[in-house]
Amino acid sequence: MRSKIIRWIIWVGILVGFLLIISIFSLFVGSTYIPFKKIISLIFTGKGSIEYSVLFDIRLPRILLGFAIGGALSLAGVILQGLFRNSLVEPYTLGISGGAALGVCLNIILQLDRNLGILSLPVCGFLGAVLIILILYSLSIKKGILKIQELLLMGVMLSFISSSLIMLIMSISRTEDLHGIVFWIMGSLEEPNWSLIKAIVSISLLGLVFSYLFCHALNALSLGEEEALHLGINVEITKRLLFILASLLTGFSVSIAGIIGFVGLAVPHFMRNLVGQDHRILLISSFLSGAGFLILCDTLARTIILPLELPVGVITGILGGSIFIYIISKKQIKL
Amino acid sequence: MKRYIILSILSLIILFGNFKFTLSSSFLQRIISLGPYITEEIYLLGAQDKLVGCTIYCQRPSEAQKKEKVGTVIQINIEKILTLKPDLVIATSLTQKKDIEKLKNLGIRVIKFSSPKNFFEICSQFLELGKILGKYGLAKKIVQEVKDKVLEIKRKTKNLAKVKVFVEVGTNPLFTITKDSFLNDFIEFSGGINIAKDAKTGIYSREAVLKENPDVIIIATMGIIADKEKIIWGKYKNLEAVKNNRIYIMDAYKLCSPTPVSFLETLEELVKILHK
Repeated sequence: MRSKIIRWIIWVGILVGFLLIISIFSLFVGSTYIPFKKIISLIFTGKGSIEYSVLFDIRLPRILLGFAIGGALSLAGVILQGLFRNSLVEPYTLGISGGAALGVCLNIILQLDRNLGILSLPVCGFLGAVLIILILYSLSIKKGILKIQELLLMGVMLSFISSSLIMLIMSISRTEDLHGIVFWIMGSLEEPNWSLIKAIVSISLLGLVFSYLFCHALNALSLGEEEALHLGINVEITKRLLFILASLLTGFSVSIAGIIGFVGLAVPHFMRNLVGQDHRILLISSFLSGAGFLILCDTLARTIILPLELPVGVITGILGGSIFIYIISKKQIKL
Repeated sequence: MKRYIILSILSLIILFGNFKFTLSSSFLQRIISLGPYITEEIYLLGAQDKLVGCTIYCQRPSEAQKKEKVGTVIQINIEKILTLKPDLVIATSLTQKKDIEKLKNLGIRVIKFSSPKNFFEICSQFLELGKILGKYGLAKKIVQEVKDKVLEIKRKTKNLAKVKVFVEVGTNPLFTITKDSFLNDFIEFSGGINIAKDAKTGIYSREAVLKENPDVIIIATMGIIADKEKIIWGKYKNLEAVKNNRIYIMDAYKLCSPTPVSFLETLEELVKILHK
């Protein structure tokens, strides 16, 4: 038991180190070259200079947002995969991202963003996500029991319906609005509003803390619902709270950063392979590595073909996908 | 007495206005353009020495290719823009709203030029740009010349037989232009009728094209696809345009980059195509 805990502490240490290294790396690379020596003097005396602005107004917000979104999506992925006992489920499977995208599309074509300001976009996205969560939740509860399999199927269907509705909206919208929708769907870690960034960072960390209330329950659930019940877990309440937690994390992430694929699907797999199935370590390690992975991908996306920037989803998909296939084919890991 | 007071106030306003005007344009020494046609217009106005950055799509005139690049039209590199220390960034309707917001938060002045909906808007935008660059006189002169010539063309084509035109700017789905685009003015000024003028959006069906039976089909170049499209249209033997072999491929760059000067050039070309 003790050796297990020591192993876990080492893992967390390694992942925190990895996250820090990536964040520092990300802070130092970009189209403007800022020598390492200069940075320390910049931090204390450089306020107002261009370099200071580049570091703390452009690069830092993206790193923080990458941390929050990457962490939240991976955490949601772990929770959902544990809840459904299905490794193909990811935060976007349940149509929550579709709902958010639909909310944003409606906002754009009704031109609410012009009248109510740019902040109305994440608000509408979040309302769309909440709407889908409510529909899913109320449809899947039968006789007081949350039917997990029906929830999954219904989620997949809702996701299809909303993507079709988005296509419908896109095909009848004006060219100018069309671009807004496409950009949003591509996903981006660029966020001008500092308070939104702070909010999502705290939500994501709160999500991590909250998820730890369920680490034992998740472990028990991985044996099956009935077994969990026999182990003394209040299965019904646990299922509902976990579903709501994961959905809210996804909803917040999607409404701020758009749809950034792959993080929530692949990171939990990697981590299960590395640290084991126990949710006590899986939750925190997925959060940390998801955060690091997204920051790394965003750094690559904005530096790989300077001065151009790529959508971050391009990198998460290509990089994550190929590493993932490589590992599976090499190690024959159990999914 | 009253008259004198009004006059002196007026002259003061003019004086002050002028003063403010020269002040603001002399402040603007470093400009970044985020749209190809805006870059082109800056060159037309001879203000290229103030242009410190543009997008990789800004290919015309060829000197613009040597300017510092700050990204594509849709995906800009904010860091790069900030380090170029611009006094003004001219955005287009293709620039992402979040990026504009971010630039403003960083204390950079941003002006957004929405894509012009007709010839009139092309001219008024050009004049506005002239004002910003402190080249209003030149802008006015260019616009006046172009307007005169355009009116001349309109007058000439007025009494010619109307030609029904279908303009294809995208395929899969078939995409055309409606009256909300300045491209519609090309057709109307050159004595044509845009069959898709009143369509709600640009998405158009082949069936509707067959029904409207245009005399001329114009395809904006989309690489090899344009030739393919020409072959596809060729299969509909009943179309007037096919019968008389009047399917033309035009340079999308010329067709879709709306400076007053390129508008006139393209219009002249189109008149030749429609009334030969």
